[in-house]
Amino acid sequence: MRPDLASLVAGFCILALGVVLLLDAGGTIDLRFGGFAPLACAAIGATLGAVGMTRPR
Amino acid sequence: MTTSDASTGDLRRDREEGWIGGVAAGIARRFGIDVSLVRVAFVVATAAGGVGLAAYALGWLVIPAGDSRPARVRIRTGRAAVEVAVGTAFLLLAVLLTFRALGIWFSDAVVWPLVLIAGGGALIWRQSMGGSSAPAARDPARPEDPRTPPVDPRTAGAKSSATEAGRHAVAVRETTRAAVAISRTGLGIALVVAAGIVFLQATGALGAARDVLLAVIAAVVVLGVIFAPWVVRLIRSLTEERAERIRSQERAEVAAHLHDSVLQTLAMVQRSDNPAEVAALARRQERELRAWLAGRPAPGQSSRLASALEAAAAEVEEQHGVPVEVVVVGDRDLDQAHEAVVAAAREAMTNAAKFGGGSPVDVYAESDGQRTHVFVRDRGPGFDPGAVPADRRGVRESIVGRMRRHGGRARVTSEPGSGTEVELVLEARP
Repeated sequence: MRPDLASLVAGFCILALGVVLLLDAGGTIDLRFGGFAPLACAAIGATLGAVGMTRPR
Repeated sequence: MTTSDASTGDLRRDREEGWIGGVAAGIARRFGIDVSLVRVAFVVATAAGGVGLAAYALGWLVIPAGDSRPARVRIRTGRAAVEVAVGTAFLLLAVLLTFRALGIWFSDAVVWPLVLIAGGGALIWRQSMGGSSAPAARDPARPEDPRTPPVDPRTAGAKSSATEAGRHAVAVRETTRAAVAISRTGLGIALVVAAGIVFLQATGALGAARDVLLAVIAAVVVLGVIFAPWVVRLIRSLTEERAERIRSQERAEVAAHLHDSVLQTLAMVQRSDNPAEVAALARRQERELRAWLAGRPAPGQSSRLASALEAAAAEVEEQHGVPVEVVVVGDRDLDQAHEAVVAAAREAMTNAAKFGGGSPVDVYAESDGQRTHVFVRDRGPGFDPGAVPADRRGVRESIVGRMRRHGGRARVTSEPGSGTEVELVLEARP
C-alpha cells in the first residue's frame, strides 16, 4: 500500500516542530518569534501543498 | 486513500509557453499547477535576497528544454488549486521571514508591497486573460456537475425534465464561474490596494496620500452625479445588444442542429418503406435529441477529433450507402469549437453523399494543436453555390455559419460538372 503523502508530510512537520519546541524548553536553543514564525509557516505550507498535490485532478 | 497523480512525465523547460527560459512553465506543467503561481513564486523569492533569480538561473541551466510539444496536462482546479496556492504562499512567507531574520533583506517598504502587488497583480491578470479554474460553459469531456439533478429517461415527461436539468446545470456553472471571477478579481484588487497602503505607511507618505485620495473621491462623486444617466444608458444599451447577439447565435445553433439531426431523419423516414428501419431511425434520433436537450454528449460520441470524424463518416456511409474515405493526420481533444468542426464536416459529408451522384466521398483532416484543417471532397455533378435558394440552410448555416460562430471559417468550392470541395479551418485562439 502506498503511503498517503499528505499525512506523511503533516506528520514530519509536527515532529519537527515538536523537536524544536522541546529543544527550546530544554534550554538548548533560544526560540523567539522571529525564528519560530518561518518554521510554522513552512510546516503549514508544506502540509497544505501536499494535500493539494495529492488530490485527484 | 488518496493517491498521487502528480506525475506527468520528466521535468522539462516549456519554451513554447514560457516567457524567458520556460522554467516556470515547465515546472507548472510537470506538477499540474497554474503557471502564474510558479511565476509569482519566483518573483517573490527574488525579493528575498535575490534567491528567486538564482533559482531560476539554476533551473535554466539544469533542466533540459522540451524537444517537442508535450501532451496536454490537466491543471489542478477548485479546492486542490486553492490548497496548493495557499501552501505555496506560506512556504514563500517562511523563506521571506528567514531571510529577514538573517538580515539578507532589502527593506520592509520595498519587499512587502512587492509581494502583495505580485500576488494581487497575478490574480487580476490571470482573470482578465481567462482563468482555467472556472468551469467551462459546456464541456462534453467534463463529467456532469454533481449538483445537477439526475435525469432518468424512463420516467414520464423525461424530455421536459431533461431540458430543465440541462438549463439548471448551465445556470449552476455560470453562477460558479461568476463567483470565482468576482472573488478572484476582488482579492487581487484588495492585495494591490493593501500593497499601496503598506508602501505609503512605510515611507511616511500616508497622511499626504489621504488628502489626495479625499480630493479624488470628491471629484469622482461630482462627475458621477453629472454623467451617471448617460453611463447607465450606455451600459444598458450595450447589455441589451449583447443579449440580442447571444440570443441570435443560440437560435442559429438550434436551427443548425435541428437541420442536421431531426430534419435529416424525417427526410430518411419519408424515403423509407421498411417499418423496422423507420422505428430504428426514430429511436436513434430520440436518444440523440434527449442527450442534446440535457447538455450531455450524444450516445457513443467520441472525445477525440479523429474518432469523431470517423464515426460521423461511418454514420453517413450507413445512412446513404455511399463510401466515405477518411484520412486524419494528427489528433486532439474535442472542445466545443472542434465539435462544431465535426458537425460541419458531417453536414458536408451528408451533402456529398446525397447530391454527389453516388461518387465516393473523401475526407482529409489535419490537426497540429494550433490549427485544424478538414477537406470534404466528392466527384459528383457539382453545383453553383451562388444559386442555392435562401431558405436552404445546409451549406449556409450548418457549415459556413456554424464555423463562423465558433471562430473558424468554411469555403465551398464547386462548379457544375467538376465535383465539390468543402474546406473547414479552425485556428487555435491565443
